[in-house]
Amino acid sequence: MEQRLSPPPKAATGRRWRLPHDWRSQSGMSIALWIGAFFMIVPFVWMLTTSLSRKADVSMPRTPSLWPPDPSLFNYKIATDNLPIIRLYLNSLIVVGATTAGYLFFCSLAGYAFAKGRFPFKSTLFVLFLATLFIPFETRMIPLYLFMGQIHLTNTYFALILPFLAGGFGTFLMRQTISGIPDELVDAARIDGASEFRIFWTIILPLCRPTLATLAIINVIWRWNDVLWPLLVTSDSSLYTVTQGLALEGHSQGTYTGVALATAVLAIGPVIVAYLFLQRYVIRSVVSSGVKG
Amino acid sequence: MTPESSSSSRDSGAIARLRRAFRGTLVWYGFVLPPLFLILVFIGYPTAIAFEQSVFTQVPGGGQKFAGTFHFERLVTDRVFWGALANTILLGVAFLVIIIPLATILASMLNRVRRGATPLKVIYFLPQLTSSVAIAIMFNYVFQPDWGLLNGALRALGVTHLPLWLADPRYDLTGSRAAATILAVWAGLGYFIIIVLAGLQSIPNDLFDAAAIDGASPLQSWWYVTLPSLKPTFIFLIITGSIDQLARFSDLWTLGGPGGSPARSLQSIVMYIFQQGFVGSDFSLAAAAAVVFFMIVLVVTTIAFWGFLRREFTAVR
Repeated sequence: MEQRLSPPPKAATGRRWRLPHDWRSQSGMSIALWIGAFFMIVPFVWMLTTSLSRKADVSMPRTPSLWPPDPSLFNYKIATDNLPIIRLYLNSLIVVGATTAGYLFFCSLAGYAFAKGRFPFKSTLFVLFLATLFIPFETRMIPLYLFMGQIHLTNTYFALILPFLAGGFGTFLMRQTISGIPDELVDAARIDGASEFRIFWTIILPLCRPTLATLAIINVIWRWNDVLWPLLVTSDSSLYTVTQGLALEGHSQGTYTGVALATAVLAIGPVIVAYLFLQRYVIRSVVSSGVKG
Repeated sequence: MTPESSSSSRDSGAIARLRRAFRGTLVWYGFVLPPLFLILVFIGYPTAIAFEQSVFTQVPGGGQKFAGTFHFERLVTDRVFWGALANTILLGVAFLVIIIPLATILASMLNRVRRGATPLKVIYFLPQLTSSVAIAIMFNYVFQPDWGLLNGALRALGVTHLPLWLADPRYDLTGSRAAATILAVWAGLGYFIIIVLAGLQSIPNDLFDAAAIDGASPLQSWWYVTLPSLKPTFIFLIITGSIDQLARFSDLWTLGGPGGSPARSLQSIVMYIFQQGFVGSDFSLAAAAAVVFFMIVLVVTTIAFWGFLRREFTAVR
C-alpha cells in the first residue's frame, strides 16, 4: 500500500479523497455549468416576461428586463381570441395519439413476425422495411401531398395520421427487442394452444414495455413538433395542430411582440410542464434509442 | 400404446403438422401485410412518384411527357438551388463544428460534477422538448437589433456597434446565418450532451485508473483517454447530425418563410423543395430537387449503415 501511494501522489489520493484540489475543480465546474444553464433558461424567462407585458406590443424597453414592468394578461387574451388554442390542443392530441398508437401497433406486428416468424420472403421483406430508413420524408412529401389530394383526404385528420402509422425505424427497434425474448416462452404458449396473435398480445407486448415506451416518447416528440406535413395537407384552421397554428400565427403576429410570444408560451407551456414530470423517461428514451426527438 | 394406434396417430399427426405448418406460414403474413401495405402506399408509392416526376413534364390539362434530364438541367442552372444547397451545408457544418466540442466539454463536466447534475441535465435538455417553431419565434425577438435580448444585453455591457443579426444576409459572423447557427446550437445542445454523457459512462474505469497511476493530471487523462474513447460517439453524432441538418426546415421556415429571407440567406434545400412544389406548383423541378436531396442523404446514410447498423445486426444474429 505504502509503495503504491508514494510514487504518484496525485493518483493515489485520487479524484475523491484529496479535498482542497477536488473542491476547487468541483466548484469551478459547477460555476461553468450553471453559467451555461443560465444562458439556456434566460430566453425562456425573457419570453415569459415579455408576453406578460402589455406595453410589449407598442414599445420594448431598450434594456431587456427579466420582470414585466406592467404585468397583465392582455396579450394572452388577444392570443386566445386569435387562435382557438383549446381546439389546437385537441387536434394535436388526436393526431399525436392516433399516430403513436398506430405506429406502436403496426411496428410491433411486423417486428414480431420478423423476430419469431418463419415464412417465405422474410428477409426480403425485412430489407424492404429497412430500406424505408433510407428515404427521407422530404423526398416524397410533394408526391404524398398530391396523392392525398387525389384520394380526397386533404384537410382531414386522416391526411395527418395515415402516412405515419408504420415505419422502418419502429419495426427495426421492435424486432431487436422481440428477438431478445427467449423462444421457449413463445413455444410454451404455443403448446398450450394459444394463437399467434394471442401470444403477441398477451406475452410479447407486455415484455416489450420499455421499448414501447421509448418508441412512444420519440414518436410523440416527432409528431407534436412536425410542422412541414401539416402545412402541406391542412389549410383549414379548424384542423391546425398546436405547432402549425403557432407557426402561422407567429408569422402574422410578427409586429405584435407580446401577442406572438404569448401564443408561443401557450403552445409550449403545457409540454414543458409535462416534461418536468416525465424528464427521466424522456431523457432515457432519447439515450437508449439514440434518436433526436 | 398398441402399434396400430401409434401408427395412425403418427399419420394424422403428419397431416396435421403439414396443415399447421401451412397455417403457421399464413399467420405470419397476417402480421406483416398490414404494416407492409401502409409502407408501400405511404412511403414506397410517393417515393416512386418523386422519381417519376423528376423525368417527366406535366402537361396542362392532364397527362405527362418524358423529359429526360431536362428538369435536372434546370435544377443545376438554378442559382437559387445552389444557394439553398450551400446554405444547408454551411449551416450544417458550422453547427456540428461548434456543438460537438461544446457538448463534449459540458458533458465531461456534468459527468464529474457531484452536485446538481440532474437539474442541470433537465435544463440543458429543455429546448429539445420545445418545438423548433416556438424556438424560432422566440429567437426572432431575441435577435431583434434594437431591443432584442441579445443586443440589449450587449448594449448594457457597453458594446456600441450592435450587430443586425437576422436582418443582415451577408456571410459574416454576426449575420443571419450566424444567428440561425446560434439558435440551432442552443436548441440542440441538450441532445448532444445527453449522447456524449452516455458515451462517457461507457468508458471502462480501469483506463482512468491506469492513466492516474502513470501520473496523468485530470486534464491529461481527459485529453489522452476520454476523447479517444469517445470516437464512436463522435462518429455517431456527426452522421445523425448531418442527416438532421440536411433536412433542416421548420426553424428556418419560421424565421424567413419559404424563401428564407433576408435575401434567401436562410433558405435550406428542403425549403427549396417546399417552395418549388407547394408554393410554385412546379412539381417536376421539386421532384428533381427531391431526388438530388435523396442521393445526398443516401450517401450519408450508407456510411452510417456500414459503420453502425450492420454491426448491430451481426451482434443480434
